[in-house]
Amino acid sequence: MRPTLLQGHERALTQIKYNRDGDIIFSTAKDQHICAWFSHNGERLGTYHGHQGAIWTVDVDPTSTMIASGAADNTVRLWDIKTGKCLKVWDFNTAVKRVEFNEDGSKLLAVTEMRMGFLGTIVVLDINLDVEAEQSNEKVMTITCEESKAIVAGWSYLSKYIIAGHEDGTVSQYDAKTGEQLDNVKVHDLDITDLQWAPDRTYFITASKDKTAKLINTRDLEVMKTYVADTPLNSASITPKKDFVILGGGQAAMDVTTTSTRQGKFEARFYHKIFEEEIGRVRGHFGPLNTVAVDPTGKGYASGGEDGYVRVHQFDKGYFDFTYEVERQARQQQQQQQM
Amino acid sequence: MSKLSNRPDWADDEELDDSTSGLPPSTTTTNKDGTKTVVTWRLNDEGKKVKTTRRIRFTVHKEVVNPRVAERKTWSKFGLSAKDGKGPAADTTSIGENIIFRPSTNWRKDAKEEKTEAGSMKDKLKDKKVKCRICNGEHFTARCPFKDTMAPVGEEGSADVAAGLADGPEAGGLGAVKGSYVPPHMRNGGAASAGDRMGGGKYERDDLATLRVTNVSEMAEEQELRDMFERFGRVTRVFLAKDRETGLAKGFAFISFQERSDAAKACEKMDGYGFKHLILRVEFAKKAA
Repeated sequence: MRPTLLQGHERALTQIKYNRDGDIIFSTAKDQHICAWFSHNGERLGTYHGHQGAIWTVDVDPTSTMIASGAADNTVRLWDIKTGKCLKVWDFNTAVKRVEFNEDGSKLLAVTEMRMGFLGTIVVLDINLDVEAEQSNEKVMTITCEESKAIVAGWSYLSKYIIAGHEDGTVSQYDAKTGEQLDNVKVHDLDITDLQWAPDRTYFITASKDKTAKLINTRDLEVMKTYVADTPLNSASITPKKDFVILGGGQAAMDVTTTSTRQGKFEARFYHKIFEEEIGRVRGHFGPLNTVAVDPTGKGYASGGEDGYVRVHQFDKGYFDFTYEVERQARQQQQQQQM
Repeated sequence: MSKLSNRPDWADDEELDDSTSGLPPSTTTTNKDGTKTVVTWRLNDEGKKVKTTRRIRFTVHKEVVNPRVAERKTWSKFGLSAKDGKGPAADTTSIGENIIFRPSTNWRKDAKEEKTEAGSMKDKLKDKKVKCRICNGEHFTARCPFKDTMAPVGEEGSADVAAGLADGPEAGGLGAVKGSYVPPHMRNGGAASAGDRMGGGKYERDDLATLRVTNVSEMAEEQELRDMFERFGRVTRVFLAKDRETGLAKGFAFISFQERSDAAKACEKMDGYGFKHLILRVEFAKKAA
């Protein structure tokens, strides 16, 4: 496969998101604009300007009309995808590290940093998906993380729960209506750096600095699978169509200059989702991977690195053809039974 | 429009030069093989005319997409990309080098092999001892006290090893008589040493201790074969046929040993040896016709 290199940012990438149809990629970096790209050819649709600090996070609503972004300038902004216009600014006390729309795009959650005497919070905002409409100022709900600040959070299936990953390696489950904490399980030894959903949001994958990624059930926070890597992980993603997960990492940015690229482990790692076995790596970045995102249609994936590049990959035939011996056998048996 | 009428008067040259009207119009011709030749003219930064000839083959690639996706493709660009033309802009989008990504359960093993190849020379030589070719002592041949008085162990001279390491057998003959050209007939006439092999004798020497290895994996590397066969004795030459374009092995190799007895041993042991999912077939090389 021939990756497309996108050079829209001057600084390290922080998050990449595909829209639901998989045709547009949004990327944020520590420089102060968001880029939108067409995934099929890497053409840049445009940039969104307005943030005054490093942008940590972006998310796109399910209808691809708006994106939300959170940045170190203590704001969450809502943008019109088509025109690049900023529709709304919400101010917070501290930097916003993660935003995510719920499944129908009617709500947005924002995870704020613990700093300057403020505790880390998860804030829920109401969103009106009409570009013309006035957005409400009100913060519908605020969950305060007293024990350990949340780093990542997301909406479960049917917007029933809010799942958050914390700095101390715990994952907690909150009731999305009341904000009450229902469950809190320690799954990782170190900070959780990423949390991404399976297409139906009944389970999710977490990546952690403790060099593992875990597949966790949404309903009871049971760890279903563990993927062990040899480097701290920054991001993890579940691929649709094929039963794989993609992990991205590499040693901390501050150690990068003292080690060679070969040792740096700046590769996207592919694991089999069920067998927990590593099946391949994709090289290319010359810095740690900060974020990986998978095309929801399963045709490709994009990775963003500390080196400021986004690399968009379209999978080729070898990827789709790969199956385990047992999978092939099972399929054959199935066919025989049908006959 | 004829070329003459299109050309501006010499007197107008100054003014017209920096406007595009001074440039010949771009032409597009369709070739027989279905390609198109596009000739365009532009002015570069120094004000000189630049003719660009491009041969383009158009392939129409149709893709059915969701109407919403199709609609989004028509959106106009904004922000930093507002001034970009249609299609990916060269300053933000480029195509990376081709990456071969084939998921496999034993990728780790493959990667390890790759790594050992790339491993530093130091690692490779770490557990190899220096061995004098003249007296088998633990020093370099050049430092051997018997250098001038004794012939090397085995009748082949030092040039032989050099030949093995160099890219071909041809280098061998000349290695001995460094620098000066020796015509072929003189090489045969000389003392029956290195020069002998150069001409007709080349295959004779090789054939005695050369193994032909077939059914070699595509992914094999010369060094791996060398490592494998070195267990049986001194290997003077490893030749692995590779495809010029892809760099993949073609499936056969020749291994020359210094001693025929080593070769025979290797032939016996390695025939049927499993290497990278394939079973090697090892036999003595036949004389070239």
